[in-house]
Amino acid sequence: MTDDVQTLVDAIALGSIYALMAVGIGLVFGVLRLVNFAYGQLIMAGAYALALTNDSPVLLSIALCFGVVLALSVALEFAAFRPLRGASPTTMLVATFAISYLLQSIALVRFGAIGKIVVVIPKLSEPVTIGSVHIRWITLVTILVAIGVFAALTLLLTRTTIGLQMRAASIDAETARLLGVRANAVITAAVLVSGVIAAIAAVILPMAVPERVLVSPDYALRETIIVLVGVVVGGIDRLLSATLGGFTMGFAVGMFSGYLPSTGAWPFTSSVYLDSAVFMLVILVLLLRPEGLFARGRRTAVERL
Amino acid sequence: MTAPEPMLELSGLEVRYGTVPAVRGLDLSVGKGEIVGLIGPNGAGKSTTLHAIMGAVRPSAGDIRLSGTSIRGRAPEQVVRAGIALVPEGRRIFSELTVEENLRLGLSGRRSKVGATEAVERVYELFPVVRESRGRQAGLLSGGQQQQLAIGRALVAEPDVLLLDEPSLGLAPTVVNTVFEALATIRAQGVTILLVEQRAQRTVAFADRTYVVSNGELRMTLGPEDATDTRRMVEAYFGA
Amino acid sequence: MRRYLDLAELLGPVLVLVLVGVVGSMGFVDPALEIEFRGALVSVAMVVALYVFVGNSGVISFGHVSFVAVGAFVAGVMTVPVALKPTITPGLFSLLGEHSVGNIMSLALATVLGGVFALVVGIPLMRLSGLAAGIATFAVLGVTYNILNNWEKIGPGPLTLTTIPETTDLLQATVGAIAVVIAAFAYQRSRYGRKLRASREDSAAARSTGIDIHRERLWAFALSGALSGFAGGLLVHLAGTLQARDVYLDLTFLTLAMLVVGGVGSLWGAVVGALAVSALDTFLLKAESGEIGFVADLVGKPLWGGSRLVGVAIFMAVVLVLLPDGLTRGREFRLSTPWRRVSQTGETAS
Repeated sequence: MTDDVQTLVDAIALGSIYALMAVGIGLVFGVLRLVNFAYGQLIMAGAYALALTNDSPVLLSIALCFGVVLALSVALEFAAFRPLRGASPTTMLVATFAISYLLQSIALVRFGAIGKIVVVIPKLSEPVTIGSVHIRWITLVTILVAIGVFAALTLLLTRTTIGLQMRAASIDAETARLLGVRANAVITAAVLVSGVIAAIAAVILPMAVPERVLVSPDYALRETIIVLVGVVVGGIDRLLSATLGGFTMGFAVGMFSGYLPSTGAWPFTSSVYLDSAVFMLVILVLLLRPEGLFARGRRTAVERL
Repeated sequence: MTAPEPMLELSGLEVRYGTVPAVRGLDLSVGKGEIVGLIGPNGAGKSTTLHAIMGAVRPSAGDIRLSGTSIRGRAPEQVVRAGIALVPEGRRIFSELTVEENLRLGLSGRRSKVGATEAVERVYELFPVVRESRGRQAGLLSGGQQQQLAIGRALVAEPDVLLLDEPSLGLAPTVVNTVFEALATIRAQGVTILLVEQRAQRTVAFADRTYVVSNGELRMTLGPEDATDTRRMVEAYFGA
Repeated sequence: MRRYLDLAELLGPVLVLVLVGVVGSMGFVDPALEIEFRGALVSVAMVVALYVFVGNSGVISFGHVSFVAVGAFVAGVMTVPVALKPTITPGLFSLLGEHSVGNIMSLALATVLGGVFALVVGIPLMRLSGLAAGIATFAVLGVTYNILNNWEKIGPGPLTLTTIPETTDLLQATVGAIAVVIAAFAYQRSRYGRKLRASREDSAAARSTGIDIHRERLWAFALSGALSGFAGGLLVHLAGTLQARDVYLDLTFLTLAMLVVGGVGSLWGAVVGALAVSALDTFLLKAESGEIGFVADLVGKPLWGGSRLVGVAIFMAVVLVLLPDGLTRGREFRLSTPWRRVSQTGETAS
């Protein structure tokens, strides 16, 4: 029974991380109509920054992580997203795929393939007992941070001018420009917020997910793929549905891995086939509702692409 | 009829979509404080002309001047800040945002932050229905209300020149009256207006001058006195 | 005359491939370099197979490497000598474990299985377009990789498959690549290919003339899958070893890059892209080991290790930004002769 609660909470935490990543990807898609395959590489860069400053004070380490991720985000925007604006969606998909590989290769050359340990706040890995359930502090922290980020983002989008402009640009960029909304300002704002979220993910991921304590060039690639899939499954053209899609994927992964046995002779009978189970679910959803699970039933960006 | 000093001038404007010319060699001018009409059959290039002025499409030849300064090639954000605002065809309001949010968006084009609240107030006075529905989702409004919102949204930027693309499209006659009356008030407040319309007769009667374009070219210029001259009107649309 | 000029579209690529094969077999090419030639030809096969679907339908597929994987594993597992199977692939179904086949047969099996797998997957998936199709095909890749990497009853699972006969010599590579090119050409000239291309330009108009888009896409997908399986067979007989990772993300990126760089809409584009990127890859490989004199002189030392992947990625990014339609701009191979001006055949470019 307590195992069930534990699995449930862990799944919620994993879903929260994936939801955060989904927001990061969804924000940029909204204003640029660009699916950023390279999002995981931003998290990778942040994790490397943390790994290289293991021995420094925590706050300095985290500050450096943020700095690196934001700098890389802006660099990507100038060097890649701007020239690609107005290109066909296929070209954009393939191009960001290429950028993802480029960044992985650079990391491979610079740091090698062997993972480096990331140490952030060791205390958070310790367990806390609530009732009869033992969970780690980091699990709680993750859920709280995610809630905090969503609350802050909602405030940004509904109460500020730039937030309003971002929402408008996501709906109809051309008309927004005709009203005087500065395209560059809105895009840069979206990229920066997206970058901040990536940095937060980079800080949390090594602590929250045991396999992710080692950073390597393909760090967060698997998560990016699953989140991307989740975002499309949820419905990519609205931030809320994209986020829900990301959360659902993370939650599903968490639940599946909690309940699947660890060995089995046939596919889908053990936890190594987790990815397959998740992907099959995705294919099923896409066939039933190509516009997304949580979309409002309109065929929008999905078909147009 | 001598036109006052030109506010907005197009000379030799040419716009192509691929290899197809939509506007050819168009000359037109709008004087300060005037209401000038632009009519013509579908596909005549009227919308394209407005989009070219706003910088949404790139002209292949010709010039666009605002108070003597060329604004050709500027991006839409910059054209708005130079003092021209557009009420697009089909209104293009943001349905999922509230009426008030739509208005606030229009503030993005203002040249100065100062006076924003007053500008919004003036729009509320001009269009009481907009004030009444300010908290509602814009998509729930009727066509006429949305049109008033769209005009208001352009006005809060306090432009010197207001471009309107077929504002009466799909509206009931009473609402059309409201819109035209509002335009008269707007002109009285000092805004220069270029009005693209399908309702030929109404426009010709209302505007100080009306240009007739067809196939991307200027065919003739009409004055209010021509509105009742049926032969002239038919000639404008089908002949020449 | 028109028939002959159209054939130029096929002959151009074929002659180029023959040229590659011939040059690779010449004496001055050392064995290490000769492998690169064979690799380039196998790449052409994979990229043209991908093009048969993506280029003709306009729908992106991230999952084609799963068909390459199926073909590669079938050809690989079935050509490991029976005596060695218990060691290399313990746990195999007895049907697979007790038999082995020869080179040609393994390629045939690879082709058939690739095609069947594509057909099965395609029946539901061909209804999707755009982003949904991209993600769904990506999911197929994910499932295929996951299963091939773990299921020990059909393959080595997480272990590496070895002792596969390396029968893809220069002749097999060249002939194989040419065969795929001919199949692609035959398809795009056929009724089916033309119908599909029509739907790519304007789906509503195509449907109104009675073209069943779903079915046309399915045939292209199945053919593309069969050719990909065949290419996978060629690949595994070139490498001699196989791991699920070899036919997963890296290969997906590489084949997509080659196609996009060459020009998505044409057969010539697929061939050019594969050869160009392979050539760059080889150049960087040699530069890394210091064998290309002038580069070492220029940079002061051999290029740093890992520059290959980076170089390919940068090349691809640059081409996409400068020439979004690829090196060939999506056009087929043409002869510029006086007759061409007169004939005005109005070829189906991209």
